[in-house]
Amino acid sequence: MADETFDLAGCLERVRRRDQAAARELVEHLHPLVIRIVRAHLPRRVQEEDLSQEVFLKMFTRIEQYKGSVPFTHWVSRIAVTTCIDQLRAQKRRPEFRWADLSENEAGVLDSVLTNERDVAPDDALAARELVHKLLDQLKPEDRLVIQLLELEQKSVAEVSQLTGWNQALVKVRAFRARRKLKKFFEELKRKEKS
Amino acid sequence: MNPPDSRWPRLAAAARQARDERDTAAPYGFATRVAARAFAAGEPPFSALLARFSWRALGVAALLTLVAVAANYSAISALSSSPDEDSGPGEIVNEIVDLS
Repeated sequence: MADETFDLAGCLERVRRRDQAAARELVEHLHPLVIRIVRAHLPRRVQEEDLSQEVFLKMFTRIEQYKGSVPFTHWVSRIAVTTCIDQLRAQKRRPEFRWADLSENEAGVLDSVLTNERDVAPDDALAARELVHKLLDQLKPEDRLVIQLLELEQKSVAEVSQLTGWNQALVKVRAFRARRKLKKFFEELKRKEKS
Repeated sequence: MNPPDSRWPRLAAAARQARDERDTAAPYGFATRVAARAFAAGEPPFSALLARFSWRALGVAALLTLVAVAANYSAISALSSSPDEDSGPGEIVNEIVDLS
């Protein structure tokens, strides 16, 4: 949100009086925040614009419930995160992970990670990110969300708890479970690579 | 004790290096469309209003009940402790049996 001078309180007041121009300003102001969350947790085959629109529509529907006990951006972030997780849950099947579906770069990154011989080259960061998303697709939506927030966005357990509404113990349990699944998954991949 | 598995942390660290250069500004017309749709939905449905106010109504009703009981407490306790009031449920049944 580049515009530091944006009068959020005034804008919210106008939105509550059903001022459409204020609603447009609010969407434009919050779009960078919402789209970053949506892009980070976007399920396959869902358009980011559709999902961000859903987040904003929920925000306007519930705006009367916002009492100001937390910053408005935190409140909107939580709506965005829960909307994404609902979408992830709605996916009937998780896409299967296959070596054959990986690009050359992604396969190279996976190979270097599995063999533990060399670090991933900085040029391969994009391939690593794509690969991570494909791996995270194999996890349950809740586990995927926790790992994404903790290890890719480097949020603290307390921040994840605040964003998701889950208590800190549950966040830790989900992270533990997700890491264990990833470890098992790497072992399977290594076996498949050898065979 | 097994050594810690470094595969996932190394991959995650590499993925974090990727910068997302995509534009984060709202696409042209997006804000107008969303604002129009938000307000086109109109007033919240009756069920939402009912849900919103029913908890408050429940609280008010509970408060009124407490006030009513407190205001009439002396009358209620006098009635229940009065020796003249001897028509318990058993006696009412006896009366009905006698009548028949």
